[in-house]
Amino acid sequence: MSQESIWDRLQRIDRRVIYWILFILLMIPFIRPLSLPVSIGPQSITFIEGLRKLKEGDVVVINISSGVSAWPECLPSLVAVSKVLIQQKAKIIFWTSFVDGHMTFEKIVEKVPEFKKLTYGVDYVHLGFYTGAEPAVAQLAKNIRSIFTTDYKGTPIDQLPIMKGVNSANDVKMVISSDTGDYCDYYIRQWRIPYGVPLAEIGIAMNFSAYQPHWQAGILFGVTAGARGGAELEKLIGAPGDATITMDSINTSHLLVIVAVILANLGYAATRRRK
Amino acid sequence: MAEVVRRELVYVLTAVVVIIMIVDYFFAVPAISAIAGELNTWATVISTMALTLGAVNIIRVHSRNVRKRTPGVWYHSAWLIFIFAFVLLLGLTNINNPSANPIYKWIFDYSYVSLGQTWYAITGFYIASAAYRAFRARNIDAALLLIAGILVMLKNAPIGEVIWAQLPVLGGWFNDIGQMPAMRTFLIVAAFGLLAFGFRTLLGRERGFYGEVGGG
Repeated sequence: MSQESIWDRLQRIDRRVIYWILFILLMIPFIRPLSLPVSIGPQSITFIEGLRKLKEGDVVVINISSGVSAWPECLPSLVAVSKVLIQQKAKIIFWTSFVDGHMTFEKIVEKVPEFKKLTYGVDYVHLGFYTGAEPAVAQLAKNIRSIFTTDYKGTPIDQLPIMKGVNSANDVKMVISSDTGDYCDYYIRQWRIPYGVPLAEIGIAMNFSAYQPHWQAGILFGVTAGARGGAELEKLIGAPGDATITMDSINTSHLLVIVAVILANLGYAATRRRK
Repeated sequence: MAEVVRRELVYVLTAVVVIIMIVDYFFAVPAISAIAGELNTWATVISTMALTLGAVNIIRVHSRNVRKRTPGVWYHSAWLIFIFAFVLLLGLTNINNPSANPIYKWIFDYSYVSLGQTWYAITGFYIASAAYRAFRARNIDAALLLIAGILVMLKNAPIGEVIWAQLPVLGGWFNDIGQMPAMRTFLIVAAFGLLAFGFRTLLGRERGFYGEVGGG
């Protein structure tokens, strides 16, 4: 029986070994944080610049189209954006197309202490869950009250001071969409293009390449790429948070994947030359 | 005959709806806008009904499993029905704000969130293993893809710029110059495809979504 060479073995590392190495590497930052510097991309800079243009009392919609499973990627950016909106004294209307969106809203409120100084229903509100994909988004632009008659706690929308005079996209100064799918496309087609409402995307990393062309074309004023984007926003507003901590895990896991791929290819090249 | 009339009626209705929505989007005629708004609301209501239908269907499928004692499955189905009924009842106790119920909130906070995030995190392990097994420089194209992939990863992870300050610049080049034109092309082609699909639907030549295969 022929002995396997080291090159052969490099190509056939058991997947359980890779899982264990990854697990250990992900644990390292918890024991000893790396805290490597994060450079800031232009998409994050324009994002914050866009938010800073808001004036006191401007109404901003935050559309939550990401579930709790995407919190590690989207929540830090949502938290950072909410902090800036509160600094700008904007009125924030949350709504969601995900059944668990109310949990994301409650988590944002929990993670942004500044919300405690504000009054629910006056300075911010969560209108709740809507279904119907693009037609619903189109109808929200035309008439918010035709989709939402109450907030998520059941309070009639007309009893909420924040909703006074807010009926359609014409009354909203900005939309921030947090996505794991294509809801930002719906807001581009139904809010940004017909009504000219400035729009920004908080997406999972995978969404970044899809929305980058829209940012470059000026349709979106900002885009974030998952946790990395969140870390950039946190750095820009000077409030390091969950995404900054996550960057350590991203460093170690990315490094493992790169090393594993290089080793496997070295083994592959060596065995191919031998044949 | 009745079948033909019924089918033609669906085509005509679809064409009318498409025309209303197009006119509303591009010309903003107040009378048409009101009808389009009504149609959008209908679509939203139908989607909500679809959610209920989905719930009913889940119960129907899993009840059948329990009734027939399907080997290896029925006890999972029974558990699903139990949890479904339990969470539904908890939700109904405070229909306007179910989160106010501490048990309901506990279920979401300590099982739904944890399970959701665990499920999402596990993909990281699969991706690491899959990248190791699948990324092989078997030819020049694969080698280029591999190099570009590694450089983009090193751009996204801050460790890239610690290794070498120019790594993010290289990764950024692949992202902005390499990827973006391709994505832009894809978006524009998809938009043209959507236009073509719309026209074919308008003309009754796109019949896939009526339950028919193909078209004229």
